[in-house]
Amino acid sequence: MDVFTLIFWVITLVWLGFSLKKDKGKTLQAIKMSGGLMKGIAGDILGILLLIGLILTFVPPETIKATIGQANEVVSTVLFALLGSITLIPAFVAFPLVASLVDAGASIVPIVAFLTTLTMVGVVTFPLEKREFGLKFTLIRNSLSFAFALVIALAMGVIL
Amino acid sequence: MTFLKSQLKNNRFLIIVLLAYVAVGIFAPDKFLPSLGNTWYYVKEMLLIMPVILLLTSLISAWVPKETIENAFGQNSGIKGSLFAFLLGSFSAGPIYAAFPVCKMLLSKGASIANIVIILSTWAVIKIPMLITESKFLGPEFMVVRWILTTLAIFLMGYLTSRFVKPEDLPADDEAAATDGPLALNADYCVGCGLCAKIAPNHFKMVGKKASIISQTLSPGDGLTITDAVAKCPARIIRFYN
Repeated sequence: MDVFTLIFWVITLVWLGFSLKKDKGKTLQAIKMSGGLMKGIAGDILGILLLIGLILTFVPPETIKATIGQANEVVSTVLFALLGSITLIPAFVAFPLVASLVDAGASIVPIVAFLTTLTMVGVVTFPLEKREFGLKFTLIRNSLSFAFALVIALAMGVIL
Repeated sequence: MTFLKSQLKNNRFLIIVLLAYVAVGIFAPDKFLPSLGNTWYYVKEMLLIMPVILLLTSLISAWVPKETIENAFGQNSGIKGSLFAFLLGSFSAGPIYAAFPVCKMLLSKGASIANIVIILSTWAVIKIPMLITESKFLGPEFMVVRWILTTLAIFLMGYLTSRFVKPEDLPADDEAAATDGPLALNADYCVGCGLCAKIAPNHFKMVGKKASIISQTLSPGDGLTITDAVAKCPARIIRFYN
């Protein structure tokens, strides 16, 4: 286990100890709620992990490197940003997926674009958002998010 | 049979992947075990992080005083309001659409357009449990740099959106939607945590991944349990007209 994960474990367990001592009922109920949330996406998580196994076996790292590696970064970044916009999977599930691509040698720029649009731009949830906040708000928020996802991705590429 | 059907429908993605594995087993049996082996590595990583995320999400929802933060919106605009918006988004759980009804409620309390954008974006991309997962899989350095850049972008987006969109551009609250009883529930935004069905099983039931109302009849004492369920709902989708 790496240091960061260890730190999170320690913080969480200490907090849990205090929480149980202070209000056991409240703590257990909250755990039930997030347990329910987790159970809802458990099937998707397992599905994604199994899919990663398939991808890594069938698509050799060299191919991944060539496809989303150095070869035309701008095009692949925009494509990944579009892919992220139309996909609706929990980010929690997306991290292992993109990590497997990065491990295989993919450039991080398209990966960051995908991660950001995946959660911030919602084509699937557009009708819901429009109903609550109106067309103008929804259009502007989603377009800005898409544009900034590209900016963040390019900046990440420069910094890291 | 209906149980099986709903299970199939809820796990459509998993089933497709499993079918792909069956196909691999038949047509490329030498790739079957390596695929499972590759999967196993990521399963192990996931198991290291999942309990922490689960517990931390629970602790946040139990102890972060969301009501206090939400009530502060009415009076505070400017920097302080934006900071509260950022905190509220950071300490949340569930996908972005779960934030829609919460934001709608905050708008009616007087939150600004900029702050709504800040909540929605923070909730979507950089909430705390997500940052931990990101750090685990992509490294702490990646997570920190992305967090800083995204935070800057979110505040800028909030400002820009408020320049283009004015409060009168938003649709009026259609709160009085048709209900034939004291309870109303907007299942579109249900995140499927099942808490309402656990707290008030006489009135709510999980159908598939969404909550639904099974009874509009109130017996003495039901008011309290229902009020509790309304308050605990992470997406704030239950309305109770008592």
